[in-house]
Amino acid sequence: MGRIHTDTRRMDDLLASVTSDLLGDVPQDFGDNTIRVERILLEMVRPDPVQPRRVLPESIHLRFHQNQITPTQALRELVQIVQIAARHRGRPFNNLLELLPNADNERDDEPTVTLTPEEQLLRDLVNLAITIRDDGQVNPLTVVDVSQGVTRLFRIETGERRYWATWLLRDFIPNYTGDGMIPCIIIPANRSSIFRQAKENTARSGLTAVALARQAALLLLTVHGYEIPAYAVGNDFFRQALDLDLRAKREYTDMILSAMGGIKRGQFSYIKGLLRLSDEAFELADRHAIEEARLRYVTGVASEYHAEIVRQIIDFNLSAKQVKELCEGDDMHDTKDESEVISPSALKLAKVTQAISSTTPKELARALMRQEGDADIARARLQAMRKLISETERYLTSD
Amino acid sequence: MTRSFVFTNHKGGVGKSTSATNIALGMVHLLRRANAANPRVLIIDTDSQGHASLVTTGRKDYGADDSLYTVLMADRTNAPQTLLNCVIQSQWDADLHVLPASPMLEGAERELMGVAGAPYRLADPLSKIVTQYTAVIIDTRPSFSLMTEMGLLAATDAIVPVEPRYLETVGLTSVIKKINDIREGWRHPALRVSGLLVTKMDSRIRGHNHLLAEVKAHPILGKLLVGVIPANEAVSYAHSNHQSLFTYNPAAPASKAYMQVVASLVRYLLTGGE
Repeated sequence: MGRIHTDTRRMDDLLASVTSDLLGDVPQDFGDNTIRVERILLEMVRPDPVQPRRVLPESIHLRFHQNQITPTQALRELVQIVQIAARHRGRPFNNLLELLPNADNERDDEPTVTLTPEEQLLRDLVNLAITIRDDGQVNPLTVVDVSQGVTRLFRIETGERRYWATWLLRDFIPNYTGDGMIPCIIIPANRSSIFRQAKENTARSGLTAVALARQAALLLLTVHGYEIPAYAVGNDFFRQALDLDLRAKREYTDMILSAMGGIKRGQFSYIKGLLRLSDEAFELADRHAIEEARLRYVTGVASEYHAEIVRQIIDFNLSAKQVKELCEGDDMHDTKDESEVISPSALKLAKVTQAISSTTPKELARALMRQEGDADIARARLQAMRKLISETERYLTSD
Repeated sequence: MTRSFVFTNHKGGVGKSTSATNIALGMVHLLRRANAANPRVLIIDTDSQGHASLVTTGRKDYGADDSLYTVLMADRTNAPQTLLNCVIQSQWDADLHVLPASPMLEGAERELMGVAGAPYRLADPLSKIVTQYTAVIIDTRPSFSLMTEMGLLAATDAIVPVEPRYLETVGLTSVIKKINDIREGWRHPALRVSGLLVTKMDSRIRGHNHLLAEVKAHPILGKLLVGVIPANEAVSYAHSNHQSLFTYNPAAPASKAYMQVVASLVRYLLTGGE
């Protein structure tokens, strides 16, 4: 057996000799780091497990990303969920195409049917699938090349609905004549950005408040150096962002607020606060696309009540004001000692006592007149105040 | 566009597997050196003897679940995914991938006889994943069987390795004619004969020099000549060590000659097959 040569320097010399001789007039650096469009086998594309915008219901989403079910099985489960929901509401279907609205059968005098979120989702997917079948997929997905070794894989940055619609078309809808490929804009892994994904999300309509909360969490976690996993994560992962804020990373504040759709800091804080919702409430609010304004009050009550309040929001279509009243009722507050609870009006009055030195009686009288518009009412207010002050003094003594 | 090179000749022992495997590895190295975003190259071994699989992966006992045979027998819809599942990383380089052959390929031809679309059982699934590679190298068996036809139908460029001996060069025109028949008969206009590779050239033998001169002087064959690989002991030593020639001895004359061929093929890739 001959002597084994493993001199890498000599290999380099050999490569150098041909690159200079034969590749001389060809561009030497053809590192194609540009964005390109290709048709990719559907099986080689996977949705992003930590994408804030969820397409499938949470339980299916998690099992799919834990590789417990295939895309076809995931869709079959969704179809089964919808079939059960639809049967309960007296509109059973056997064929997915029956989900589509039929203009010929519609009557003006029929009441408008309210679909469950799953029914709406499946109807939208079927609609999209039919559009793709009839008109082709005009808008490619955006994917990131995350291939490792022989495992060729592309992670979806945008276009997860089109991905599921194509699977639905391939496996559930008749007359599919495609070749199992899907057009994709491929972004090199080193150019993948969570900020671009966030901007793409917020630029599109239909991003729920819960999805925004997940997105806010992802951005905060990213700029604080947390590693974003490539597998499905539970809500606790996103909740880590509750301990983080924009102040600690001022240099990223503008970028984050811009990626969140140009919102203000206060709004960002409210959105992030939704991460406090219990898992069940979080999922319900996401499925039913409840706005942040109606959810913010829910986070102020004990977590065991979250799901129930969200259910009431859904069932009774409560307004933000009604939710506020519901949440600020005494029953569901944290079970703190009542003596520790101080109402906001008491705190306001206590603050007023500090401003007495800078106020003259005449000024106060004028202010009362402007507020009440009537001298008798103003006098009554002062008397009530006097009574309150004298009683307050009693408590100070006894304390 | 990815180009698929099929190394074919119905004569055995002309260096098809040696050329296919070493050129594939050379391409990976050269593409990487040129900072190509995708330097991956796929070798498809269609020869049931599995020599290309053996030297690049260290084994040739692939079977019904992990080889080209699996792909050919897969359901048409699942064939692309099956192909992806069967591709493995070579021991030579992380970016050199192999779809290994299996001894079961011998029987595959019989099993596929009469199956509609059988000749496209490699081309169809390969077309779905081919863009994942910058180049595909297909090694064929030394005969014009169904398996070789599958290789030709899956390729864009045919390279014919040939020894500089009288009978081999006489048979060359029949090889080229057969490739043209596939192109016309199977309506595969993308396939063309892109290279003639003279292997095992011994310049001490007068007959070799004479035939090489004739090939060079031939109006068609001369233009097709992409390289002349000298006969070199390093080749067999590299084989027995399951190493590439470039790793075993980059300074060997055959290594240098193969690298020249690799450079011209990479240049061909870069210029879009012009």
